[in-house]
Amino acid sequence: MGLIDHRFEDNFITTSIDRVLNWARESSIWPMGFGLACCAIEMMAASASRYDIARFGAEVFRASPRQSDLMIVAGTVTKKMAPVLRRLYDQMPEPKWVISMGSCSNAGGPFPTYSVLQGVDKVVPVDVYVSGCPPRPEALLYGLMRLQDKIRKEGTVLRKERMIMSGDTEPTLIG
Amino acid sequence: MQTIIKFLKTIFLVDLLKGMWLTLKYTPRPAFTFQYPAERRPTAPRFRGVLRLQVEPGTGAQTCIVCDQCAKACPDDLIALGGHREPGQKIKILDYFDFNLSRCSFCGLCAEVCPTKPIKALIMSEDYELGSYSRDTQILRVDQMYDGVAIEQYTH
Repeated sequence: MGLIDHRFEDNFITTSIDRVLNWARESSIWPMGFGLACCAIEMMAASASRYDIARFGAEVFRASPRQSDLMIVAGTVTKKMAPVLRRLYDQMPEPKWVISMGSCSNAGGPFPTYSVLQGVDKVVPVDVYVSGCPPRPEALLYGLMRLQDKIRKEGTVLRKERMIMSGDTEPTLIG
Repeated sequence: MQTIIKFLKTIFLVDLLKGMWLTLKYTPRPAFTFQYPAERRPTAPRFRGVLRLQVEPGTGAQTCIVCDQCAKACPDDLIALGGHREPGQKIKILDYFDFNLSRCSFCGLCAEVCPTKPIKALIMSEDYELGSYSRDTQILRVDQMYDGVAIEQYTH
């Protein structure tokens, strides 16, 4: 880390707090088991031994929102379920992230009806949208890696605002 | 008698060794896991990935004839395309091809009705790595339809 690098004995590692925190956060994202429909089957497949989401440190599917960092919304969100989903999201401790998995939770999918929420981003802020119907387990892992990229760029101590500009694919720094 | 057998089993740790043997039996086998970002599992022949436009191989000419069949076939009205006629050219020039990926259920009806021969203009490709940070980037424009969706390579 710049000026103080190699000034100490061999056993010292210098880094920034942001980097350490982001490294810790990205490498142990505990998801909440939030399977709503058929996408949950693929989510289970991703956590089983063939695809093994544990390689990314995200294998601990918690039953309680108080212990989880990530909500994988896997499946159709009906309007009856939406308030429950929002409450569970509110109960998760900060920092928290949301992956919207599949067409149904991205935009309502093939259900443009009165009973289905047209996109889960109407009730919770979504970090990564994974397309597919349902997405393959690999696609979910890909989405998880995109989320890890996003976490890596987050600022904790400096509190720099980062947001996705409209049309961009990468988070940009503002202010 | 039963008690003696049970006692001997306890002395010689039979149950423990049984369990250890099972673990040992599975140890030399290769791992069952696909190391996904490093190796990509081959898809099934009829796998339906993200929609993609094809050009004529070799010449790179446009194969889409702007017949609007795919837009009509789509059950969710996700495809919008249009073109114009150039004087002296036989086929319509494709101006825009907007494909709203966010609702797509990958049914493949659009690719099925595509009438161009011998090369289908619209195919379901083998790409499934689709992750985006916003809803806007899920609407694929015509250049993304040709080149495919940009995939971040995580292999190292």
